[in-house]
Amino acid sequence: MSGGAVRDEVLDGAGPLSVQRPPAEVRYAGELAALRADDRDPRPPGWELSLRAARRFVIGDEAAGISRKFVGNPSLVDRALVTLATSRGLMLVGEPGTAKSLLSELIAAAVSGVSTLTVQGGAATTEDQIKYGWNYALLVAEGPSTRSLVPAPMLRGMAEGRLVRFEEITRCPLEVQDSLLSLLSERVVAIPELTGPDGMVFARQGFNVIATANTRDRGVNEMSAALKRRFNFETVFPIPDLDTELALVEAEAATLLRRSGVEPPPDRDVLEVLVGTFRELRAGAGAKGGSGPAGAERPSSAVMSTAEAVSVAHAVGVRGWFLRGEPGSAADVVACLAGTAAKDSPEDLARLRRFLEQRVPHRRGPQWQALYDARHLLAD
Amino acid sequence: MSAVFLGVRHHSPACARLVERTIRELRPAHVLVEGPAEMNTRLDELLLGHDLPVAVFSHYRDEDRAATSWAPLCDYSPEWVALRAGRAAGAEVRFIDLPAWHPAFAERVNRYADAEVRYAEATERLCAHFAVDSPDALWDRLFEVEPDQGLAERLDAYFTLVRGEARADARDRARESYMARWVRAAVDIAGGRPVLVVTGGFHQPALRALVAGGDAGGGGDTGGGCGESGDRSVGVDGWPSGTDGWPEVPAPPAGALAGSFLVPYSFRQLDAFSGYQSGMPSPGYYQQVWEEGPEAAADGLLRAVVDRLRSRRYPVSTADLVAARSLSQGLTALRGHPRPARIDVLDGLAGALITDDLEEPLPWTSRSVLRAGSHPAVVEMVAACGGGRVGRLHPDTPAPPLVHDVAAQLARAGLGSPGASYRLDLTDARDLERSRVLHRLRVLGVPGHERTEGPEHGIDPVFTERWECGPAPGREAALVEAGAYGGNLAEAAARALTEQAHDGTAEAGALAGTLFDAVLCGVAGLSDGLLDELASRVRVLKTPGPLGEVLATALGLWRHDRVYGVARGPLLASVIDGATGRLLWLLEGARGGPGVDVPRLRAVAAVRDALRHAAGLLSLSPATAAGIALRISRDTEAPDDLRGAAFGLYRALADGTHGDPGDPATVVRAVAAAGASTLGDWLAGLFTLAREQVTGAGAGAESLIGVLDGLVGELSDDAFLSGLPALRQAFAYFPPRERERIAAVLLERRAVRGSARGLLRTAADPLLLARAGVLEENVSRVLARYGLRAAS
Repeated sequence: MSGGAVRDEVLDGAGPLSVQRPPAEVRYAGELAALRADDRDPRPPGWELSLRAARRFVIGDEAAGISRKFVGNPSLVDRALVTLATSRGLMLVGEPGTAKSLLSELIAAAVSGVSTLTVQGGAATTEDQIKYGWNYALLVAEGPSTRSLVPAPMLRGMAEGRLVRFEEITRCPLEVQDSLLSLLSERVVAIPELTGPDGMVFARQGFNVIATANTRDRGVNEMSAALKRRFNFETVFPIPDLDTELALVEAEAATLLRRSGVEPPPDRDVLEVLVGTFRELRAGAGAKGGSGPAGAERPSSAVMSTAEAVSVAHAVGVRGWFLRGEPGSAADVVACLAGTAAKDSPEDLARLRRFLEQRVPHRRGPQWQALYDARHLLAD
Repeated sequence: MSAVFLGVRHHSPACARLVERTIRELRPAHVLVEGPAEMNTRLDELLLGHDLPVAVFSHYRDEDRAATSWAPLCDYSPEWVALRAGRAAGAEVRFIDLPAWHPAFAERVNRYADAEVRYAEATERLCAHFAVDSPDALWDRLFEVEPDQGLAERLDAYFTLVRGEARADARDRARESYMARWVRAAVDIAGGRPVLVVTGGFHQPALRALVAGGDAGGGGDTGGGCGESGDRSVGVDGWPSGTDGWPEVPAPPAGALAGSFLVPYSFRQLDAFSGYQSGMPSPGYYQQVWEEGPEAAADGLLRAVVDRLRSRRYPVSTADLVAARSLSQGLTALRGHPRPARIDVLDGLAGALITDDLEEPLPWTSRSVLRAGSHPAVVEMVAACGGGRVGRLHPDTPAPPLVHDVAAQLARAGLGSPGASYRLDLTDARDLERSRVLHRLRVLGVPGHERTEGPEHGIDPVFTERWECGPAPGREAALVEAGAYGGNLAEAAARALTEQAHDGTAEAGALAGTLFDAVLCGVAGLSDGLLDELASRVRVLKTPGPLGEVLATALGLWRHDRVYGVARGPLLASVIDGATGRLLWLLEGARGGPGVDVPRLRAVAAVRDALRHAAGLLSLSPATAAGIALRISRDTEAPDDLRGAAFGLYRALADGTHGDPGDPATVVRAVAAAGASTLGDWLAGLFTLAREQVTGAGAGAESLIGVLDGLVGELSDDAFLSGLPALRQAFAYFPPRERERIAAVLLERRAVRGSARGLLRTAADPLLLARAGVLEENVSRVLARYGLRAAS
């Protein structure tokens, strides 16, 4: 199935809206087409867009009507794109919820026109989900042939010359990870069951791999040095400045609230308190091995990402509107935080309580005061 | 002919080249440079032939304020080039800015700092437009890597844009109207010959407008928030002219002490200013850009980083090098740079060499200092960019004021004779003063004064010091170098200590060392910067134990010091406040297994003492602290010893607002339910904080011993043996006399008459007895298993 087929399938019927979340190449089909039409810069072989056009697609270009899709350092996108144009793969690492997958989806859509060649890594991922498997009915009936072969994303990406995304690569068993080795260095997959030219699938120009890995579950430390060497690493950090993160949370939460039938937009001061809390807890928890303001502590098991902040903002708005008919307040933030920042771990709850009791009183502003006053809402 | 204005960024090679070229082409009669006007009579000093970087160091002191500031100059500073090339072209060169002691420079430490804060909004928008990370990347992209054609026009457009949106404050306006005065004077005196004005780009649009407006006699409003009517009175009219037609250099107010001197400077210092006080980062790299151009600098940087990494045994393979180079070239092309920029090289190296997840963002993506936990490859990259160049003054340069101050102070203190040894009694005021002079020299790194005996730390009961003073090679040079820290010995020492605290690791030992040095030097009251720095260092310490020691020492000195004169002083007050807040924060987050962490318990005791004896200093109230203590004591995840200590802390502080934590007896029973060893740990914590709970008079105390007696009595032999070490450790907190009292209570409970002291004395080590008990137990068990026990 090529990118075009995906697009048609998704757009068929009731249109893209009937799909919960269409892939990036469908969501931004118009922007991609416009960029492709104006693209005068040289393209690396096998690429759908030039590097500069791909960069504009991800970072945005207001004048040309291209929206900003990734809020992060532009230089990170530069490095990622240049890496993909060389012979090394790209490894995006970072805390959960730092938009690694979004970035890899956007880049794949820009570079190959398809972001759906994706391997989802996990403990149960096997080699045939990466390279190829068999249609066993056909295999028994006809023997090994190209008809009975079921290509997996890697094989297809190589044959078609496209980017393949490998999500959460470090969650795969090490042996499975290492099956990428020959593929990345020799750029060929041998299919011993097939004879003749079909037995070797050589990667066409345009093939490369974007892997993502989460620093939380199982870091990249366990990856074999041989595999590490075949990737360039890019660490994606949480949004560094408060204003950008606040603006993003505000925009996303407002969209979600509108969809949930909540009329008033979220209160900006309340959001500021919420995002500030998330940033503080993240700073205390994120750093391991002794850096950061509270580095000696064990990291929080809760994920204090921007995405999580959006969902709390959403919950706060829903609570305020449907319970009291007004925008969410700082007290709602406390109530909702208990479920997010603490999940069911008493240790995280203690951490949150410590923050509310010891840090919040030093903050200035009526909403911080309200947050402090509402601290008893944190259930024991 | 009117003046030609060049707006520059300080420390920019591209701007320096532009200045050089303009002077060559324009052949100006006068070159006016943004710089301290009080140096005009001494410009020859600047051009003696120093090894750059050097800085004009200015100091000021009156009754209200004291300030020091630097105007650093390196080979590629546009100001320096204007000075040097202007002189060489036969022009009259003058500095035209206000002296550093003028109130317009209050709180400003670096004259040539980027005024980033003021035009952050405009540069942010430009960064977004050009899709770059930081203003530094933007600057490189627009100016440093672009060819020189049209540079002046681009700079004009850029600075007009950023100035157009920023509001200049009153200080800027004062400086600008003063500089405009000089320009007008120069134009008048030049009589048609060209005049070149080299100033920071931020001032250039306003200056141009002021000069033009001044001629017309009307307001010179540029739409940039300057030249408003209010300026006229305090501005042009406020600056008197001298007899020679040039503006007068304002003299410092009567009674104030001020001066400017040349001091050697270094790339490290140039790079070290953080925040808006900094100029351009990476002086080493830009020096190479200035000398050999961006291509050579990029090559040099790549080579320097690889050399540094390989010498540190960090593996850099040929394949990595190929990848780094191809990445940088790709980035240069993608970003549309005609020549490689600094971040192209750094980004390429980072992409190729780092095969881990980073803990901290790459420092060049924002304007931040290198943080602890940075990747080793990143550390080397930043170091390679910084360069290690150290400036040297020409031998004929007048010595900086520190040199004279030190000589005078040594003579006054009678420490002048070389080859002498001194024994100083710190309780004697004169000897204390002498000791301070010597300690200040020590922290400034001036050799030739060695302390062989003396107190090692704040609670060392040693009050005499022995110093060996002798001639040392390099002493003069070290003094001149230290001159960059300040004009007199005390100020310089305070600043050196501030820097030491700033650069120090996040360890309590280093902090305690700096703190005690500050006490020994007697510089506490002199520098707010030092106080702030120490307080902020306290807030990043991570282990409660050592931090508690710092707190206890600081508190002890603050309360009882009779020697160093720091009792009730601001230095220790800020440390005590910071440490108490930080400790409570750390303690509430502390986790850990069984066992007694004695330093941590002492830290809790230090917090209690601070709350008891220095509550007035603390920014947190005893009630808040009590609330925290109560939470810790109830937190089942917290270590047992800490919970016990928190319980004791709560009882010491409780005023009843947080509810009663429960009767000690009840709480002890609840703790004992978790096992004898938990009880032991918990008691160890409690006894560290509140021994009097047990031994003090009153029914409650009696009952606590009773409860414990009952609990221990009910333990099975096994449980008792396993809990014994912890219990013993807990009771070890009691001095013998109190133990005796406890023993007496126990005897009384059993209605036994006997010697309490005798009960405390055993023939052998109790642990040995316990081990014997275990052995006996085992033997009888084995015997029982094989049916060998004697029928009884």
